[in-house]
Amino acid sequence: MNYAFSFVYIVENLPVLFDGFMVTVRVSVISIAIASLIGIAGAAVRLLKVPVLSQVVGAYVHFIRSTPLLPQIFFIFYGLASVGLPISSFWAGVFALSLWGGAYNVENVRGGFLSISKGLHEAADSLAFGPLHYLWLVAVPLGVRVSLPSMLNTSVSVLKNSAYLQAIGLAELTFVAMDKVSLEFRTLEMFAAIGVMYLVLVLALSIAVRRLENVLQKPFRP
Amino acid sequence: MTASAATAEGAGGRDPIVSLSRVNKWFGDFHAIKGISLQVNQGERVVICGPSGSGKSTLIRCINGLERHQEGDLTVNGTRLDGKSASLNEVRRKVGMVFQHFNLFPHMTVLKNLTVGPTWILGRPREEAKETALAYLRQVRIEDQAYKYPAQLSGGQQQRVAIARALCMKPEVMLFDEPTSALDPEMVKEVLNTMIELAGTGMTMICVTHEMGFAREVADRVVFMDEGKIAEEAVPSEFFSAPKSGRAKAFLDQILVH
Ligand SMILES: Nc1ncnc2c1ncn2[C@@H]1O[C@H](COP(=O)(O)OP(=O)(O)O)[C@@H](O)[C@H]1O
Ligand SMILES: [Mg+2]
Repeated sequence: MNYAFSFVYIVENLPVLFDGFMVTVRVSVISIAIASLIGIAGAAVRLLKVPVLSQVVGAYVHFIRSTPLLPQIFFIFYGLASVGLPISSFWAGVFALSLWGGAYNVENVRGGFLSISKGLHEAADSLAFGPLHYLWLVAVPLGVRVSLPSMLNTSVSVLKNSAYLQAIGLAELTFVAMDKVSLEFRTLEMFAAIGVMYLVLVLALSIAVRRLENVLQKPFRP
Repeated sequence: MTASAATAEGAGGRDPIVSLSRVNKWFGDFHAIKGISLQVNQGERVVICGPSGSGKSTLIRCINGLERHQEGDLTVNGTRLDGKSASLNEVRRKVGMVFQHFNLFPHMTVLKNLTVGPTWILGRPREEAKETALAYLRQVRIEDQAYKYPAQLSGGQQQRVAIARALCMKPEVMLFDEPTSALDPEMVKEVLNTMIELAGTGMTMICVTHEMGFAREVADRVVFMDEGKIAEEAVPSEFFSAPKSGRAKAFLDQILVH
């Protein structure tokens, strides 16, 4: 078999790939942002031991982490439609990825909260801080810093898992590539091209988080 | 017990600002505080000492509700700690605490560490809180470090910031739990000097410390604890020259050798 790898083919298809790339970027960025907020809010609810809500969050985290993502996506996309709430594949994707990443982020941020020394909590107590003061003034600023690396991991997974959204017909990067491959059989070119594009996205995300970490860590450096 | 309480009132004869009556505290099955009664008057300086594990930390942590006692009465500045959060909050606003390991907020500047309580908890205007903070930083002689972060300061400086942070809440009582034990020897003195100066302002102070020089110089009373009880209570001159109990003698021998 001699398969002639064609860069020209990739270049010719860049415009259509770029459309998919932008859909992937949009769905991922929105989902990562919401998943981060869910993580902080969920971890806060658990930290404050809010009655009922805390158990609900615990069950949600457990449920999401114990079931595969693909059925979750189907559940939301087809499930909502079947109860008369049709939703676009884009927003179903955002919904599913946010819930999925949020569940992992709850655990990530909770880990960050738990890493805060008992002494700081006692200092806050001794200054008559209430639980919400502790949360807002101590736990969030310190705990979120600590959990940034694990939140980055989760965010990278959200980005990569956006490829599953092709299953509900969202024209994101993998969908576009698969579509092209099924018509023109340029398998290697297409998957090499989107591989590089995902790599670029992950790299960009990592750099952004590294930047954020640097800004936040400044005070800690003697 | 009654006899020692009577001698303690020599300091002023006012109502005690901190009053413990037959306070008991258990950790699970372990009886950490065994029926302690103790009165501290306004402006009084009490040093608590005793062997490790005798319950000194637990005792003073009960006073601002960091630990909850299970039996007995504990009243601070007229508020009885009854397990409700309103009284706990009331007491904590009136009681400052300094910890062995400083426990400054690492993500806040020194100034922010000092103003966060007054602005968020006491509702003081930002400018006023800042001025108060700078005044206390001047008092503990580190106003030039106001915009640094705790990690940029030495241990002695951090502990003086911690003292200033507690003072910014305008407490009626200050608690110290071995404030110099985590410090390098050359920094112990600067912190003790700060505490001595604070005693000079008339602040009511309850200090767990093994710094016997400090006890001699500022304490109105020394409380010696052993196995969850007050084994001896006396004015410093008496306690150091003629300890009554064998445990206190042994303890002093050990401390003074160092
Ligand atoms: N949170 C806790 N849980 C269980 N036991 C404790 C706890 N805190 C203190 N203790 C026990 O209570 C006793 C008194 O402790 P502590 O008040 O810290 O003593 P001191 O400050 O005099 O060294 C010790 O035996 C200690 O092990
Ligand atoms: Mg102790």
